[in-house]
Amino acid sequence: MPFDYRRFNGPEDSVSYKRFSEDFLRTYDELYKDLLDENGKRKDGRALNEARSLCTSISRTNIVSQAKGSAYVELNKTKVICSVFDPREITGHQNEYSWFGQIYCEVKFAPFSCPRKRRQLVPDSDEKALSADLKKALETVVRRDKFPNFQMDIFVYILEHDGGCLSAAINAAGLALADAVVPMYDIVSASSVAIINDQIIIDPTEAEEHLALMYTDKEKNHGLVTMCFMHHLKQFTDFRQIGSVDAECVLKVMDILEKECDKLMLVIKKIMVSNVVRQHNEHKVLLEEAKFREEVLQSKVEEWRKLLNAG
Amino acid sequence: MAGLLLSRTEKVYIVNGIEEDFRSDGRSNYDYRPIELETNVVSHASGSARLRLANTDILVGIKTEVDIPKPETPGLGKIEFFVDCSANATPEFEGRGGEQLANRISNILQRAYHASQAFNLKQLCIFEGKQCWKLYVDILILECGGNLCDAVSLAVKAALFTTRIPFVKAALMDGGDVDLQLSDDPFDSKPLVVGTAPLLVTLCKIGNKFVVDPSAEEEFCSIVSVVIGVSGNPAHYTTEKIENVESKFTTIGMSGVGGLVPDTLKSAISQGIVAAKCLDSALGRSLLRERQDICSYKKDSYGFLK
Repeated sequence: MPFDYRRFNGPEDSVSYKRFSEDFLRTYDELYKDLLDENGKRKDGRALNEARSLCTSISRTNIVSQAKGSAYVELNKTKVICSVFDPREITGHQNEYSWFGQIYCEVKFAPFSCPRKRRQLVPDSDEKALSADLKKALETVVRRDKFPNFQMDIFVYILEHDGGCLSAAINAAGLALADAVVPMYDIVSASSVAIINDQIIIDPTEAEEHLALMYTDKEKNHGLVTMCFMHHLKQFTDFRQIGSVDAECVLKVMDILEKECDKLMLVIKKIMVSNVVRQHNEHKVLLEEAKFREEVLQSKVEEWRKLLNAG
Repeated sequence: MAGLLLSRTEKVYIVNGIEEDFRSDGRSNYDYRPIELETNVVSHASGSARLRLANTDILVGIKTEVDIPKPETPGLGKIEFFVDCSANATPEFEGRGGEQLANRISNILQRAYHASQAFNLKQLCIFEGKQCWKLYVDILILECGGNLCDAVSLAVKAALFTTRIPFVKAALMDGGDVDLQLSDDPFDSKPLVVGTAPLLVTLCKIGNKFVVDPSAEEEFCSIVSVVIGVSGNPAHYTTEKIENVESKFTTIGMSGVGGLVPDTLKSAISQGIVAAKCLDSALGRSLLRERQDICSYKKDSYGFLK
């Protein structure tokens, strides 16, 4: 196990106290019974085919001042922050000249982000896989021919993980790239679906994802699908499925996810527009303030000149 | 692919050929290249297989070790995949050069084997909550000739098929710890049940068509490929009559730079599941034949010097 010795990592053999709680060892059947209430609603009150709304008032772009572009995305308890930095030249003698720009993606979980365990500071295989998936999703969208032999860094930090972190990360990165005015073919949106016992659950929470991937003897479909979609070009840039799902269900899920991504696109556009409006307003306020200061200064100068002339 | 040089005309030749369903080595878009497979090639491993798919050469060795099960899944064993890209394959794999490729393949395998309907981890349990078997699947890539994922998954399934885990003779509780007693006889062991283990199929999009089993040159011409994992049918892996199990997707992923229109992806995965079923039955047949040969001591070992 990789370990960062420069940091204090806590005692190695500590365990989460949750392991001793009754909830920890609940079986698949018990959890499944709790999945839906008597009205067919999920724990957070949503219907099966209801996604969490990407809150337009909270989710926004341009929140990290040092970065070229940045975005914050919040889906109830899933909170993701993403920043995009200026392209920089790829150096080093062993690297060949690359005709296409490179994208470097890094997805990181905050140590306290996950409900089940504390995340280590050193990237684990989960994070590496997420980074690779994010890279796959974005490489297709960005006009990499516009910056040959340059590398662009995209960092995603997951502050709180409550399901759908890959799709949230892609959405955040898409917004951040747009904020950084990186040339792109299209806007991306991503959405995910969990399949539990043949039921299709849109935009699952962490508990639902856990149940979908839990070990069970049931023959029914179980799994998790995440999809990244380019809205205007009508193309998938990434499609990931895990679990065991039959062909019919996969095809059905594709159609559902396509619709979900289309719905999400409206919200993403709204966030982008509101960001432009906000920046424009801020700019206007700044201009007015500058004008006001100018006037004050001018009047002072006039005053002093009068005094001088009088004296 | 590493160190490969193709001129523009060669690319056009490959792409146009595929458009007409006639590839440069005479295959159609749905054909695999000849596969050679030999099991039990490494004497120190619990199970091993060596697979040669045209120029792709894979060696898989499986080691079994005793481990403590994860607290959240006390009744399940563990399986882990490690891929090593040997610098023999291409000088670019030297040092940390092959790490990215190795990570990608082991990730796909881990995802494909994660599903409960793909690989039954309950058979690796020794003592619930206390001890379980852990399978270390070590994959060595000796030569790259394209289509690594498919070749690796075939070799892994073959190696798992030959893996035997020893019977536990007795278990003593010693103040909360478990003391296991295993028999010394290596034949006093049981084979793993691996009928449902998934196979990976790479569908490479070249021009407007998808091809299975791309060669290194063809991979070079493609910008996007779809990798699917399809669970196997246990009926192919036993001589007894058992019910057919419907194949399911255990993983789907895309690699390379490029997007796909939904309909294209749909046709690709339906093409892939057909290919996976054919591969699965062929693998089952040859593994059963090989097992029979071993039982009747008729087997000629080929080893690496064929």
